[in-house]
Amino acid sequence: MQAFILRRLGAVVPVLLVVSVLVFLMSHLTPGDPATIMLGENASAADVARLRHELGLDRPLAVQYGRYLAGVLRGDLGRSIRSGRPVALEIWDRFPPTLQLTLGAMAIAAASGVLLGALAAAGRSGAADTIVMSTSLVGISMPSFWLGLLLILLFGLMLRWFPIAGGDDWRALVLPAVTLGAQAAAVIARLTRASLLDVLPSEFVRTARAKGLAAVRVLFRHALRNALIPVVTVMGLQFGALLGGAVIVESVFARSGLGRFAVAAVQSRDFPVIQGIVLFAAAVYALVNLSVDVAYLALDPRITYDR
Amino acid sequence: MRRNFALCITLLVAAAGWGTVLYAQESRVGGTWTIVSTEEPDTLDPQKTGAAVAAAIFQFVGEPLLAHDFSNRVVPGLADSWTISSDGLVWTFKLKAGAVFHNGTPITAQAVKASIERAIAPETKSPVAKAQLGPVKAVDAVDARTLRLTLSEPFAPLINNLGDPRLSPIDVRAAESAGSGFGRAPVSDGPYVVKEWVSGHHVTLARNPAFTWGPPYMHHGPAYIDQIIYRFIPDSATQVAAFESGEVSQLGLPPHDVARLQATKKYQIFRFLRKGVGEFLEFNVTKEPFSDIRLRRAMNYAINKDVLVKVVLEGLGEPAYGPLPPSIWGYWPGIVDYAPHYDPAKAKQLFAEAGFTPGPDGTLQKAGRPLAFTLYTTPADTGVRTAQLVQANLRGFGVRMDIQTYEFGTILEKFKKGDQQAGFMGYTYNEPDIMYIWFDSANIGSGLNFSHYADPKLDALIDAARHATNLTKRAAIYVDLQKYVVDKALWVPLWTNYNYIALQPWIKDAKIHPDGYVFLGDAYLTKR
Repeated sequence: MQAFILRRLGAVVPVLLVVSVLVFLMSHLTPGDPATIMLGENASAADVARLRHELGLDRPLAVQYGRYLAGVLRGDLGRSIRSGRPVALEIWDRFPPTLQLTLGAMAIAAASGVLLGALAAAGRSGAADTIVMSTSLVGISMPSFWLGLLLILLFGLMLRWFPIAGGDDWRALVLPAVTLGAQAAAVIARLTRASLLDVLPSEFVRTARAKGLAAVRVLFRHALRNALIPVVTVMGLQFGALLGGAVIVESVFARSGLGRFAVAAVQSRDFPVIQGIVLFAAAVYALVNLSVDVAYLALDPRITYDR
Repeated sequence: MRRNFALCITLLVAAAGWGTVLYAQESRVGGTWTIVSTEEPDTLDPQKTGAAVAAAIFQFVGEPLLAHDFSNRVVPGLADSWTISSDGLVWTFKLKAGAVFHNGTPITAQAVKASIERAIAPETKSPVAKAQLGPVKAVDAVDARTLRLTLSEPFAPLINNLGDPRLSPIDVRAAESAGSGFGRAPVSDGPYVVKEWVSGHHVTLARNPAFTWGPPYMHHGPAYIDQIIYRFIPDSATQVAAFESGEVSQLGLPPHDVARLQATKKYQIFRFLRKGVGEFLEFNVTKEPFSDIRLRRAMNYAINKDVLVKVVLEGLGEPAYGPLPPSIWGYWPGIVDYAPHYDPAKAKQLFAEAGFTPGPDGTLQKAGRPLAFTLYTTPADTGVRTAQLVQANLRGFGVRMDIQTYEFGTILEKFKKGDQQAGFMGYTYNEPDIMYIWFDSANIGSGLNFSHYADPKLDALIDAARHATNLTKRAAIYVDLQKYVVDKALWVPLWTNYNYIALQPWIKDAKIHPDGYVFLGDAYLTKR
């Protein structure tokens, strides 16, 4: 197990290296010289030349990349053009709210998705099934900015249960997490149902029933556990999508976070920040995928990674 | 138990009632006022920021040498009095006694000198503050309270610029020791101190109890409101919802919410004309077809601005006729009659004079080539909707206009290079010197002269206006300038929108300043 995790961590390294090359080239392939962008509208040619030299932009690309990589390894992602602060610090400021939001959304999506999916499968073709399936269809099709605004109107403005653009406590997290998690919940519910329907006719389920176990126990303890493998895979993928989807939800609910920060950086051509966020996001993705692989082990003892 | 509880309630009620009476009589101090902002500042180092929202926040954090009162006259700020030499080259300021920076350091002429020198220094890479100081070449502290600026040539905009919050003095020693952290917690001299900045969320300003050197239109002494919070909310629908729920106290109203919120009669709503032309169509005179001035003039008669104001702005604005709006000093009211108005017959005649006649399908053409061009605009709602209306409007004359949208950064690059045939732009500025930025040939290529029009006569007029320290003379030059730009038909000015600001009802004595912001220096809250 440890050997497996170490091996997988080792495999993450080349992935990140490739990402770092792409990210590095990004600022060199897009039109507009970083030095000109940093100095702004009225810079003189001499100033631009001086700054190009200071930044090492007049050196060969390979040398520049080497310097960049050496910086990244030391945790130095450069400085934001816009604010002048270290990029690592800027990212660190905004990661916790995004992580909270994503975890909150994931928790809501996983819990409600699996539960509803199981209900639908258990009552196949009945009223519960129809309701879950049609609601999930709505959930998948509804754009998150619209759902967010509806929730704001209903629970923020009319009922006043939750703050609209509120502070730091858990109440401020509820509406954004529901908005962000809704789509993933719908996907997970449909998948759980389909997967369970595959498993339920199996002989081990019949055996479990035959030995007199309660229906609920059969469903959740025996069938669901076997049905969850594809669901967990999709959850991993959904987690990545949630990190991306946070952009819109963070804007609608005026939350601080990496998504909004990335958009602002793109708009102001803050290349060091864009590079930093892409690299950071790639690392997070890689770690999430690793966790998914590890989760398989817990779910199904037949799966082993060691030889 | 029950009796105790009742007693408690009685006492509480009594205390509350008593408290209210006391407070109305003796103290206006306290409370938190939350202002919505769509944008977050880049930095709050006033000399390093280019962002409008940073300037807005610095209205509270800084106190510049001069100020503008409610009739837009220049009045004392941190400087008690000032003199300008007759050649306009030497400006001498007497600082108010007793002023201190947020950290308690006394503000001497030496400290202000250090601050101005930092703004000018090339290492600071100041995007705005340096340009505002223009040809200031030397700064001297004559004595502890006397500051002297020496200019290399007269520079009329300086008197207005010295009232800009971004030229508020900062404590340079504090800036040096804080490094890049200074932009998150600047040390300046205004009625509020930056207390906290949570990235992507809000900036909290705390009342500066030492502040007694405000402008003459403010009461003597520190501000009343205890805390001012700038809350960053990017989505306008969320902004309005948060305002209606009472979570935020002040916001710039999106146009389509104005009528609805006015109808509730619950809020204080102020209106002012934007300080700048909201949207104008700018021709690139180095490219076909608008290298021909007759076509540019024809376009000025062909476009119906009243329709744009009615549809795009839902009536909440005015048609624009010249390069300056009525809300900027130097605007010449005569421009409305001087400039072209919608006149289809005149437009057709000018198109014909330029050699364009209707072809078989109604499209205007000359030597078999149709009159067609591509207009570049940013994807902003108002820009795109204006473009679509202008497109339909021109189609009626047989002119084909294609619309191409680019994100703001890209469009600036393209306009600078002169890739466009024509494009939409808009601006906000505090000074008629904006004419230098849009029209001087020095700003072709690197600056914002997107018409790429170079004309020594126009440059000379702009130069004269910048040198005229005499206001009457300066105003007269701007009249000529406005006429000249209209004569050359470099733009079709389209519209200028009203800005609306809504305030919660529990604020008293908030005033709208002609510079386009809410002055809270005298304001106090009745609900805290």
